[in-house]
Formats: sequence, C-alpha cells, structure tokens
Amino acid sequence: MRITTSMIFSHIASSLQKNTEEYAHLNERLATGKKINRISEDVSGSVNALGYRLDISINDQYKRNIDKTNIQLDYTTKILDSVSNSLINLHELAAMGNNAQSEDKRMFYSKQAADWRDYFLSLSNSKLDGKFIFSGNKTDKQTFVYNSVTGKYDYQGDNGEINILIDKEASVVMNIQGSRAFSISLTEPLPATLSDGTPISFTQAKDPLTGVNTITVEIGNSGDPDYDTFTFSSIMDIANIMSYAWKYSDINGSSLNSDPEVAEKMALHRIAALAKPIDDARVQTTGIQSEIGARQIVLNDQSKRLSSSTLVMQNTLTKIEDADMTETATELLKTQTALEALRASASKIISQSLLDFLK
Amino acid sequence: MYLLSLFNIGKSTIFTSQTALNVTSHNIANVNTPGFSRQEAILEVSTPIAIRGGFVGSGVNVGQIRRHYDNFIQSQLLGQYQNYGRSTALENAFSQIEQIFNEAKNMGLSVPLSDFFNSWQDLSTNPEGQTQRTVLLQKTESFVIAAKRMERGITENLNNLNQQISNIVDHINNIASQIAELNERIMSSEGSLNTGQANDLRDQRQNLLNELGQLVESSSYEEPDGSINISVGMKSLVYKSEYNVLSVKVDEEGDREIYLENSNITFQINKGQIGGIISARDTIQNNQLKGLRRLIASLIKEINLIHQSGYGLDGSTGNDFFNPLDLSFGNFSSGAGITGSITNLSQLTLDEYEITFDGSGNYHVLNKDTNAEVATGAYISGNPINFEGISVTITGAVNSNDKFSVSPLTNVIQNFGTSISDYRKIAASGSFAGLPGDNTNALNIIKLAEENLSELGGKTFTEFYKGIVSDVAKLTSSASDSLTFDAKLLEEISMRRESISGVSLEEEAANLIKYQRAFEAGARIIKVTDELLQTVINL
Repeated sequence: MRITTSMIFSHIASSLQKNTEEYAHLNERLATGKKINRISEDVSGSVNALGYRLDISINDQYKRNIDKTNIQLDYTTKILDSVSNSLINLHELAAMGNNAQSEDKRMFYSKQAADWRDYFLSLSNSKLDGKFIFSGNKTDKQTFVYNSVTGKYDYQGDNGEINILIDKEASVVMNIQGSRAFSISLTEPLPATLSDGTPISFTQAKDPLTGVNTITVEIGNSGDPDYDTFTFSSIMDIANIMSYAWKYSDINGSSLNSDPEVAEKMALHRIAALAKPIDDARVQTTGIQSEIGARQIVLNDQSKRLSSSTLVMQNTLTKIEDADMTETATELLKTQTALEALRASASKIISQSLLDFLK
Repeated sequence: MYLLSLFNIGKSTIFTSQTALNVTSHNIANVNTPGFSRQEAILEVSTPIAIRGGFVGSGVNVGQIRRHYDNFIQSQLLGQYQNYGRSTALENAFSQIEQIFNEAKNMGLSVPLSDFFNSWQDLSTNPEGQTQRTVLLQKTESFVIAAKRMERGITENLNNLNQQISNIVDHINNIASQIAELNERIMSSEGSLNTGQANDLRDQRQNLLNELGQLVESSSYEEPDGSINISVGMKSLVYKSEYNVLSVKVDEEGDREIYLENSNITFQINKGQIGGIISARDTIQNNQLKGLRRLIASLIKEINLIHQSGYGLDGSTGNDFFNPLDLSFGNFSSGAGITGSITNLSQLTLDEYEITFDGSGNYHVLNKDTNAEVATGAYISGNPINFEGISVTITGAVNSNDKFSVSPLTNVIQNFGTSISDYRKIAASGSFAGLPGDNTNALNIIKLAEENLSELGGKTFTEFYKGIVSDVAKLTSSASDSLTFDAKLLEEISMRRESISGVSLEEEAANLIKYQRAFEAGARIIKVTDELLQTVINL
C-alpha cells in the first residue's frame, strides 16, 4: 500500500484521539467510582440495576412500616401488661366478696376498685403519636368515656383494623381494638351457681359494629327478694360495679336494697359473680398479648428477610454498577503508557522527511 | 538542421521538466488540502522525425496532467459518508435523550415514582397524620415536576431536531448551487480547451459531493460532458448547471417534512444526517415521548379511579387526586368542528384515535394503536359518537377528505398536577365510617404499584418505565456502536483513497530532484549544442 504524508498524520491523530477518549473514560470511572455512567454503556446491567434500586427502595419502605408497627405493638403490649397485672389485684378484691367484711374494709375495697377502674380507663385511652390506639379507625375519638346517664363506660371506637403492608402481598394488623382489649367475652363453661348455691346466669350480646360484648348477669330466681341483675361491657364497668357493690349500692349510687341484710347479700353475690369475668379478662388479655407476640415474630422475621434481601441486592448492584478501582487504576496506567509511547513514536515519525536530507 | 534540432530537444527537456516541477510543487503545496488528488505530469516521447534509414527522436513533451483518482473507491467513500452522517445524527439525538432517562445517575422518573408510592405507604401507617399527608403532596409535586422536566427535555430535543432539518436543508441547497456552478465550469473548461480534465475543479466538486453525502442520502452519476447529476429521493437535485431547491414544510403534527419538486420525499431519505434525524425524531416521538405520556396518563387514570372511591379526612369523597385526563383534538377538516369528553374513565384505553369519513356519509373511528375500527355509523351532524369511554360530537358538513384525531395523551403531562391542595382531602379511608384511622383506600393505591395494567400492555408502572429506559439504552448503545463502526469504516476507505490520491512528501522530494536533474541535463544539452555551433561557426 502506498503510504502518503497525510495518512501518517491522520493515523497519528486518530490514534491519539482514541487513546485520549479511553483515558477520559477511565478517568470518569475513577472519579465517579461507577462502571456504568450512562445507561447505554451496559443496557441489561443498567436496567437490572434500576430494578434492584427500586426493590431496595420498596424494601426500605417495608422496613419503615415494620418499625412503625412494632412501636405501636410494643406500646400496646406494655399497656396490656399493666391491664393484666391490675386484673390480678381486682380479682383479689373480688375474692374478698366470699365473706362479709367490716365497713372500714368495704370502704377501702370500694376505693381500691374505683382506683383500678380509673386506671383501666386511662390505660384504655392511651395515645400514641396523638392517636387513641384502642379506638379502631376512630383514632381521633377518646376510646372509652363515662356515660353519666347509664353509669357505664361507652366505647367510642369501632371494630376497624389498621393493616400495614410489610411485603407486596403480606400485611400485619397494627392495632388492637378497645372492644377486644377492654371488653370481655366469657369462656365456657359458665358457672350455673355461686359458691353458696345461688343460681347465676350470664348472657352475652356482641355488637357487630363495635365488637363490644355486653354481658347481662342474673343472680337468683326472678321473684326472689335478693334477685339481682346487672350488665357490664368493659373492665371499667366491672371495677365500677365492684366499687359500688362494696358500698352495697348500685352504679347509680342508690342502695341495692332497702333491707340492709338483703343488700349485703346481693352485694356479696355481685362481687363473687364478677370473679369469673375478671378471670376471663385476664386470660383474654394474655391471649391478645401472645397474639401481638406472634405478630411481632412475623414482623421481625420479615424485617430480617428484607434486610438480607436488600444486602444481596446491594451486593449485586455493586457488582453491576461499581467500578473495580484497582482494575480501573491499572487500566488508566496502561492507557497512559500507551499514550506516551504513541506520542514518542509520533514525534519520531513526524520529524523524518527526505527533504531533511536533501541539502 | 540536425544540430539545431538538438536545441529543440534541450528546450523540450527544460520545458517538460519545468512543467513536471510545477506539478510536483502544486502537489507539495496541497499536501494538506482536504480532498486534493495528487497530480502527475505524464511525459511522452515527441513525434520522431523520419530520416533516411529510420527515425530520429525529437525530445519529450507533457502528454497530460493526470489526476490520481479511483472512481470505485470514491463511490464507496460517498456511500460511507451517507452512513456516517446517519450514524452521527442518531448518536447525537439519542445521547441527548439518554441523559433525560439516565437512571445510572438517578436522573429519570424511577426515584420520584417510588418516592410517590412510598409516601402513600407512610400515609397508610398513619392515615390521619398531617405530616404524612403534607409529605405525600410534596412528593407528588416533585414527581409532577420530574415528569414535566422529562417531557420538556424530550420536546426540546424534538424541536431541536426539527430545527436541524431546516438548517441542513439550507446547507444542502447551498451545496447544490455550488455543484451546479462547478458543473458549468467543468463542462466549459473541459469542452472548450480539450486539454483533458479540470482536475482541481473536479476535486472541489468531489469535496462538495462528500459533504452532501454526509447530509443527505443521494445518488449521483457523471455525464459524458463531465457534469454530475444528483438526485435525492428519486427527484432531481442537480442537473448539469441547474438545481432544484429543497424545501421544508410543517406537517399536521408539527413535524418538518422535506419537499423536492413539490413531492414529499421525507420518508425516502434514510441515510445522511437528515435520514438519521428523521429516524431519531420519529422513534423518540413514538416510543419515548408517547411512552412517558402513556405512563403518566395511566397513573392519573388508575389513581383517580381509586381515589374517587375513598374518603378524605373532611368526609369528602369522589375527589380526583390528579387533574383529570382530558382529550385533545386535531381538526383536519374543511370547516366542521369537534368537541368531546371522557365519559367513562375506567373504559379508557389511553389509545389515540382517528375519525374519517367515507363517500357514503359514514364515519369511521380507528384506534391508531390497535389499528382496529372501534365505531362506525351514518354521520349526522351534532350526534355524539361513542367509543371506548370517549364521546365526541362533530358538527358541520364533512367530506371524505376530512379527518379528526382524538388523543387523551397529547396534553397529559402539560396538564399533569395534583388536583387537591387541601391535605385533608387525600382519600386514605375506604369508607366514611372508617374515618380517620382507616387506611384501606391508601392500601388500594399502594397495591396499584404492583398491578399489571392492560393500558400498559399488561405491565406495572415500574416495568413499563423500565421498558422505556431499556429502549433508550438499547437505541443509544446501538447508535453509538454504529457510529464507531461507520467512523472506522470511513477512516479505512479514506485511507484507501488517500493511498491512491494523497500526496507523499518523500515521493515529491524525490521527483523534485529527478526533474531538477533533468532540467540541468537539458540545459547542458543546449550548452553543448551551442559549443558545437561555435565550433562550426569558427571553421
């Protein structure tokens, strides 16, 4: 092939250009630490990387959701711990009802029961982040309020569950409704008589909208002088009934019976009758706590799974996107050497011409 | 007489050497002139003189000044210039678009899109929270801004491409006029003097042809009279010393199209920069721009549908989350009008439609994306035409040349924005009774992110978006590969041309000496002859 002057020059020029391009490219890799700086540099790699980044972002979101759910469930467990402990004390008060007590003690017990009642009420109205956590969906409503007309504690929340996504398809309920934590469902077998043989019956009615279970208790036979019936739908009601019963009065403050003896008998019956619901309430609270525990196990497992899958994806992402610094630096050095060699040889070739020798 | 002819031989040597030195110097002078073809003085023996017993030579003369030139390589080079022009234009256009979708630097829509859905997630964990609601509105705003920025980036690039078409067409017209003029000069100089080819004019014309090749796909052939005729898109651009002007017209969709001799030749041009630009423009319009608009339209449609069914903290329901979708119309009729609206959002396919009329007074609605006729019937002015969740009303007289286009996509990103400004109106709750703690509607919106949507070809939002990104990456990478290949090939062919037509200084230096020596020898002949004559005179 005939080689002409401009061929030599343009060859040198294009080689220099190519080398410099390569040099700049490697330099960019070193500067950004990334192998892929433009999506066209690695089509499938960059699309995969995009997928991984999105998956990592959604994983992080699920972890944030889990953290948030965990906080509320932790808080709920703590409250239920207190409820459960207090129920033990209330149960002891109920046990005192097996025998008649002195007036001093009765007043003391009454006061204690009233304190537990108020404590339960404050627990049931717990707030987290400005929300009533036991009110179902009605988080802006105080969970239980005292109804001065009925003398009972009304549930203002609803049966709503708040589901939190912890994965594409999986969700966990974040809340425990007040109607479950503070209202009681009695478990079979229900006692037919009290310890002194007085017949007793419990009737339960659940409000499907709120989940509140209202229990009607009948003691004795209808027509008996000491026949008694009363209803309650929350542990506040129970403590309230007990507090008044120790004063031998009904929840509206009036005496249970005009005859003091009958009134005492009725009051003791009432107190004794409450032992079963209090027991069941405790079992129920523990049940809910273990349910929360089960939810938290799911949350923690899921959190671990998310962390490890994020880790795997991050590693893969690094492999796809990040430049191997040692390799890039070595490449850069190689290109640099090549560039120097090219410059040296170019200067030799360019300086040679026949015209130099024709003197 | 014989002695005097020695003078002539000496003179011819000197003159010929002078001419050859002239050619050599011209070559040296043009060693760096692009497109210059090396010239060579072709020496010939002068016609000998017959004497008794044979012929006696009468010296030398220059037969022709030959231009070293290979027609085959030249036509290869021209073809490669056209390929190279296309590749540069494509690479240029797509690398701009790539920057808009450069997810490798988190420049695209994926971060704002996932932030948007993550904000809904945060809201679902605290549906009554003002913070979460305000953050959601802010993240939505960032998403809207990102989408608008991307669309603006694409449309600016498209405008730029259209502008480039006009600029290049001007350039082509300029080149065409120069070639026509050179044709004229070459024809007249070669025809009248009859001294062989007008080498330097031909080099000039060849340069212009190469330049033209980079700009536009053309074919050319040389006439026996030395002129070159050029045609573009089967129409004549240059014929001898005449040339036709390429013109640019804006079509219905605002794109610039190229006309030559009153015919639209846009789609016959595949190569050259113009071919590349047209191809890039149409690809970007139909894939990236339309894809982005479809994605946003789908998001608006699906989120609004769910949002409408939910309840805000203030108890309101039926609210749109995003500004509602809206139709845009193209009216290509002689005087009829068109109005219309979306009647059923859930039936909307997000496809584009074209309404045409036949000779027997029927209208035809064509879905341009599926190519299916979705509605037809007798045209009655003012009667609504319903199809796929859309109702349009055309009023006035129409004829079979009239055409209307209906698109839910054209203005979608332009109108894109949050419809609600009051954070309480964000409908996280699925029911009025569930307020404020219920999050079922928020959960439904979050689940949308995983849903395969028919209007996105059975893909989720992110899959669809990933498809757009991967298309951009593929287009850019293949454009850059072709450019590398075409540049390399162009260099190869240029080298081969250079090998034949290029100037070698070494060679010319040697020639310089060669002809100098010949000149000196010729002078010597004259001197010797003079001495001989002296001898004779002094007899």
